[in-house]
Amino acid sequence: MALLFRFLQAFALLLLASAVAAEHTSNWAVLVSTSRFWFNYRHLANVLSLYRTVKRLGIPDSQIILMLPDDMACNPRNAFPGTVYSNADRAVDLYGDNIEVDYRGYEVTVENFIRLLTDRLDEDVPRSKRLGSDAGSNVLVYMTGHGGDQFLKFQDAEEIGAWDLADAFGQMWEKKRYHELLFMIDTCQANTMYTHFYSPNIVATGSSEIDQSSYSHHADNDVGVAVIDRWTYYVLEFLETQVTSVTSKLNLGDLFDSYDESKIHSQPGVRWDLFPGGEQEGRLRTVVDFFGNVQNVEVENANATEPGSLKEDLAEIARLVERWQKRDEEYSAILGNSAQNSTEDLHSSTLNLKPKTTVGPSKMAEDNGWGKRLVGASVVGACTAIWVAGSILGRSSV
Amino acid sequence: MTTKTGDQESPLASQVDPQTSVSRVPPPETPAAVQTRFRVIAAFWAVIIFLGFPIWWKTTSIYRASLPLEEMVHWADGKTCRPVFPLEIHLSTPSLPYIEAQHLLRTTQHTLDDLNEFAAHHLRLKLANDTTGDHTGQDSSEHVNYAARETPDTALTVRLLPQEGLASPRSELHAATTQLDVFYPPSQIPVSSSSNSPLSTFIAAELQQLYGEEKATIAHILSGDTARLASTSPQLAEDISRRLRRSMKYAETYHLSFSLFTPGAEPSSWDIEAAVNEYVSPLLQALSPISNFTVDTQVQLYANFAPTAPKPEYDESEAVWTLKKEGLSAFVNAAEWPLNPSIGTGPTINFILYVPDPSQSPLVVKENSASSWIVPQWGGVFLLNPPLSNDEQGSRSNPAHLSLGSLGPAFMTFSHQLLTLLGTPSTPASLPLRLQTSIRIRAATLLLSASSTMGSLARLTESLPSIPIPATVATSVSTTLSHLTATCSHLREGRFGAALASARVAETEAERSFFEKSMVGQVYFPDEHKVAVYLPLLGPIGVPLVVGLLRELKRIAAKRKAKAS
Repeated sequence: MALLFRFLQAFALLLLASAVAAEHTSNWAVLVSTSRFWFNYRHLANVLSLYRTVKRLGIPDSQIILMLPDDMACNPRNAFPGTVYSNADRAVDLYGDNIEVDYRGYEVTVENFIRLLTDRLDEDVPRSKRLGSDAGSNVLVYMTGHGGDQFLKFQDAEEIGAWDLADAFGQMWEKKRYHELLFMIDTCQANTMYTHFYSPNIVATGSSEIDQSSYSHHADNDVGVAVIDRWTYYVLEFLETQVTSVTSKLNLGDLFDSYDESKIHSQPGVRWDLFPGGEQEGRLRTVVDFFGNVQNVEVENANATEPGSLKEDLAEIARLVERWQKRDEEYSAILGNSAQNSTEDLHSSTLNLKPKTTVGPSKMAEDNGWGKRLVGASVVGACTAIWVAGSILGRSSV
Repeated sequence: MTTKTGDQESPLASQVDPQTSVSRVPPPETPAAVQTRFRVIAAFWAVIIFLGFPIWWKTTSIYRASLPLEEMVHWADGKTCRPVFPLEIHLSTPSLPYIEAQHLLRTTQHTLDDLNEFAAHHLRLKLANDTTGDHTGQDSSEHVNYAARETPDTALTVRLLPQEGLASPRSELHAATTQLDVFYPPSQIPVSSSSNSPLSTFIAAELQQLYGEEKATIAHILSGDTARLASTSPQLAEDISRRLRRSMKYAETYHLSFSLFTPGAEPSSWDIEAAVNEYVSPLLQALSPISNFTVDTQVQLYANFAPTAPKPEYDESEAVWTLKKEGLSAFVNAAEWPLNPSIGTGPTINFILYVPDPSQSPLVVKENSASSWIVPQWGGVFLLNPPLSNDEQGSRSNPAHLSLGSLGPAFMTFSHQLLTLLGTPSTPASLPLRLQTSIRIRAATLLLSASSTMGSLARLTESLPSIPIPATVATSVSTTLSHLTATCSHLREGRFGAALASARVAETEAERSFFEKSMVGQVYFPDEHKVAVYLPLLGPIGVPLVVGLLRELKRIAAKRKAKAS
């Protein structure tokens, strides 16, 4: 009996250990639309629908990077100003009053996207525009736009290649910037975009095979353009009707099984081979592992007495505070008359607050005028020398 | 001058020859024209080879500073440095003669070594020279300039005090200093003949227990999740991994942001400066060897819950408003509460003091009536329910001002939450000791993380041959490597404060080198792109040049042949 008990205990421990190993500590979502202009309304609606879903499942705005290259809500052609809809029934205004766009308009570029993923950003870029994921983060990357064989167009001006994307993910993996990554892409020939990935722990899925178009689902006659793409529509249908709360146990396998080619009108693809354990293991990841947020809030029990608990700590901090005050008093006693002032000084100095320095205007031009002059002089000199040499040579040959 | 006259002679000669003018072929080229053409072609090619090609090469080549790749990979693989943590513990024996104290030390050390199963972390006993152990303890708990010290840091002072009327030894840990008092019955002093004694066994077991958690944590960090010490209980292991999960990622500077949120207009002011000075500064001072901190505060009135957040419910039996535990993660209205001040580079730790609306006061957590919780890797929340005042109309309102006294519990809790979020271990029950442990743990973490960044950078350099590597990266890498070496030797000699100081530099430089801004680029160009770029340029220029060169070569070859035959 005791043996059985011990065996059970060991088994439970093993389960616990595997649960710990598979656990992630935060969730991040990078949602990117790459096309602008009114006729690409649906791409922005795709992204906003996904944004709404991940927010509903608990990922806070600070952990969602939303890239929208155009502002459909305020487009003059929009018959419903200030709103974006992804369905002709116009039941849900996706724009709402609670939306945080991190990169908008011409900020959505290939360079910014790669910089975002690899965090090679200027120091003064605010944290809301950074992907602050770490080795414990599950990252969802969703992209939509116009693409082709192994590229995705950004804003009609440039394109990101499948190689660049693969390298960006590779660098993220090297720097431990994700724990597991779900890559979703809805564009023409989407499945070609993830063919070059090589870093582990990535599950990738796309809307269409090579040489296949990815179609829009339906148009809203009052808005005047197509409002959502097919593949995204059915993914969203699954997420909205089946994954109703963060506690949902549905897994990625269920999500991918829900793809219906007769409805989507293209062949969606899934890539499992980068995931440890392949398809078998990957299918078991729950949808909310990527679309939801883990936040195990720890309520502090004021009555617990184990070491490190609130009560113990409070006592220790109180002692620290007390000693600090005593030292303050001693210090001020030493200083004698100016006791009051010095105490205050000490207080302010302990705060580690950086003294506020006023920022004055600074000179924009770098101050190496002499260097520039030198370069200019040498260029002029070289040109003169060439001219002289040429004229001498020319004279000799005539 | 001679060539000039020769040039002028030859066209004359060709004109007078009557035979060639009969057939309508163009007149043969004069040697002078041939020579001119040769010079022209040679000049063009010279410009291309000596000017064009180097410029093209220079402007299109990618600058890659050379990095000590092998060394970097060795650091990442742990081949260069095996971190060790020799803790020096002073044994102060005011009432024992030197010989006996020496003997006690030896037997205790022997027992300790037998108990230890994790070689990287071991305790070294040493007899304290001065008998005023109290002073040492006081000193090391305060902020000292670690880098300037040459001797190992004293982790703990054990003071042996004889006490009559005790059956077995007992110990007492000073909560405010790094001192452990051991009281023992005078009869238990080990005689020099015996190899073991109850007193030495007791001290060894006591020390072992004191550093158990630290040892397990360091073993966990050094070996990853898989290998754990056999003596670590599953409970402790779970605690440790939970703590590592919820603690913030290391940063050189943390911003502490204290915010007062309330759904109404009151309270609209708080004694925040005094409260921070009183309750937070001492802790920040104690934590200053580990990180820098900046503090900012804000008051936000009319702060509402998110529309999707679960509403508080009224609990009739307790006469309190309650929040369900599972709804707490939605408590913070991340979209509307201005909580992520984009200041500086470091992460922000948010502390929220929430004063509920008078109509919903008092507000507590449903499950255990707690009023505070920690959001892992983010910050903490405290629900403050100040005494309400009734005005003439009978409606209740919050006080307009929160005094220092009423903020006390909240700020003590914030201090505790700060300790937790920074990953301070929960044992032993003395704050200075816990902070010391924290220093060692941070040093180990940073050493590993900087080393692994070096490995990542080395692999990146090898796998992406077209990424530029500026000289600043090479500088940062060499700084990192030298500071890693320094960290390793400081650790070996037991100077943990100095080790942490250099590990911090190493980590900062390693991050800087990996996240170098210019090391980005659309690195991959497919071949058809290259053709598309170069063809319009090279087509019109290249064809005449190449054809000209070929014809000239042909002519020279023909001339050679003619000469030979």
